[in-house]
Amino acid sequence: MTTAVDYSDATRATGEAIIELEGVDKFFGDFQALKGIDMRVGQQEVVVVIGPSGGGKSTLIRCINRLEKHDGGRVTVDGIELSDDIRNIQEVRRETGMVFQSFNLFPHITVLDNVTLAPRQVRKMPKKEAEALAMQMLTRVKIPEQARKYPGQLSGGQQQRVAIARALAMQPKVMLFDEPTSALDPEMIKEVLDVMVELARGGMTMIVVTHEMGFARAVANRVVFMADGEIVEVGTPEHFFTDPQEERTKLFLSQIL
Amino acid sequence: MTVEAPVFEETPPQVEPARGPTDWARKNLFNNWYNSLLTVALAAFVVWALLALVRGLLGADYEIIRANLRLFMIGEFPADQLWRPWAATYCFAVLFGTVGGSLAAEARDRATEAGLPNVSTTLRQILIRFWPILVLIVVILSFTTTITPTLLTVGALAVGLGAYYLGRAMPRAIRRWTWLLAILLIAASYLALAGFGGVGWQGWGGLHLNLFLTFTGILVAFPFGLLLAMGRRSSLPVIRTISVTYIELVRGVPLIAVLIAGAFAVGFIIPRDVRPGFVTRMLIAIIAFEAAYIAEVVRGGLQAVPRGQVEAAQAVGLAPWKTMRLIVLPQALRATIPAMVGQFISLFKDTTLVAVLGITELLEATFVVNSQPAYLGKGLFVVTLSFAALIFWVGCYTMSRESRRLERKLGVGER
Repeated sequence: MTTAVDYSDATRATGEAIIELEGVDKFFGDFQALKGIDMRVGQQEVVVVIGPSGGGKSTLIRCINRLEKHDGGRVTVDGIELSDDIRNIQEVRRETGMVFQSFNLFPHITVLDNVTLAPRQVRKMPKKEAEALAMQMLTRVKIPEQARKYPGQLSGGQQQRVAIARALAMQPKVMLFDEPTSALDPEMIKEVLDVMVELARGGMTMIVVTHEMGFARAVANRVVFMADGEIVEVGTPEHFFTDPQEERTKLFLSQIL
Repeated sequence: MTVEAPVFEETPPQVEPARGPTDWARKNLFNNWYNSLLTVALAAFVVWALLALVRGLLGADYEIIRANLRLFMIGEFPADQLWRPWAATYCFAVLFGTVGGSLAAEARDRATEAGLPNVSTTLRQILIRFWPILVLIVVILSFTTTITPTLLTVGALAVGLGAYYLGRAMPRAIRRWTWLLAILLIAASYLALAGFGGVGWQGWGGLHLNLFLTFTGILVAFPFGLLLAMGRRSSLPVIRTISVTYIELVRGVPLIAVLIAGAFAVGFIIPRDVRPGFVTRMLIAIIAFEAAYIAEVVRGGLQAVPRGQVEAAQAVGLAPWKTMRLIVLPQALRATIPAMVGQFISLFKDTTLVAVLGITELLEATFVVNSQPAYLGKGLFVVTLSFAALIFWVGCYTMSRESRRLERKLGVGER
């Protein structure tokens, strides 16, 4: 289901490439989830990935921060090519924030601790400094007053915003969103999308798997349509709304719009 | 295939709420002739059995317990050294009090910060929570012949309660060092028992030995169990194979076999002059055995942590061991609390198995006193066994209740 949210006027130039995928293959047993994906994402670019479920969208962005290991091709993030070296992987993960469909907040610690955990443990930031940063991020997602609560006390929309703050606290260069609003009640989708739109307008490089076409229209530089492990069509949001070329794209869009 | 619904002719489909005990009895106990017959026959049997037990216990001569109370409690500890177990008891009173108090204060502070309602424990609630223990203490004290043990026990309870309120009042900065105080108190209690010409654990017995074997067994086995559980999930085949083999081997053997192996088989392997004493060997056998069970309990907890938690930790760049320590283990161990207490309860009862090897723990003590010349052939087993049963039941029931309470508080099963 989609909510009609009107975000007008968002244009952005495509900068230097920060993420490069060259001929990326991924197998789950015999099933090929990604078939030679080529993709470049420029700095400050916002790419929205759409497509039917099982088409490889999530697998694609999970290969960018090595939650899935790609089986062929090359993945380069901010000049670092992903290899089996754990230090190399850690380095890439420090530069990429990720937001999950099911939030995945740590339920046993407070909201503030969720956000300060990575800066303190990974960036070795002193407690005071990390907490100041965390409060800044929580203010950015508009829930500073919830800092001392536990994730279980918050609504889904609030939890997802905490998850965004948690990712932002690492001050990443790229943000990956894996269906961030799919698990939310309709009335909470907007509060999360608003935060994401602000983030995009603030110049964050983002890859977003979502079916929120209002969001795509407002801030996406490019929309990528994926099906059966392949990129079927790429274009501006305008292109997708007015003049989709491929049959599969047309069929899919007719189903979700 | 069709399944026919069972037909209840006597009960109407709409079950009316029972109006009173008479109605309830008519509906559930006397609803037809054979149920009525069964009810009467069973009731007669239960009444007869209870009467027999009560008559046996009321009419019995409790001299056997009175005369052997010290043997039941602390085994063959020298009579002139009794200040030592008492000193240890006071150490533990302070330990439980302080730890309990500071945990309560910690929970209170966290709840306040998170804006949750906080209910502080009152003295009345503590009494309600621990009534079985208090009843047991009264029963045991009723078998003492002088006033001294009663005074000392009341003193210990008072000290424990005082320590609880002190622990609750401690500021956070001091509260952080409670674990150090706990270790110091445990060391002090052991020193009080065994130091300066006292009796080491080789000479312990009675309930004291059961408690020692249970607590030490679980505490020492826990880290090993944790390592085995993580080893079982390791991606390195060698570690995984070793862990699985150990766990499955030990779990496939009865505890008593491990104890007998520790008692006799080890004797052939280790030369006499470096061979540890009997109780130590039993303790090692218990630890080796419990580690395998704890490993399986922990594994269950590890599996209960959703995959997304690990992914979220990885995604923010947390190193694997930090992911384990900060994200997975705290959640996994919380989920294992009920099973862990179950393990604790069964070990408490299983420590009686060391009796087979001639160690006078509580159950064995309640047996051997029946062979004393004064009581031989008087059929007082029902008295001594009931006494031992009461102690074990109170211990296990209290632990089980506390575990359920802890579960509710930590919200196990809720996310």
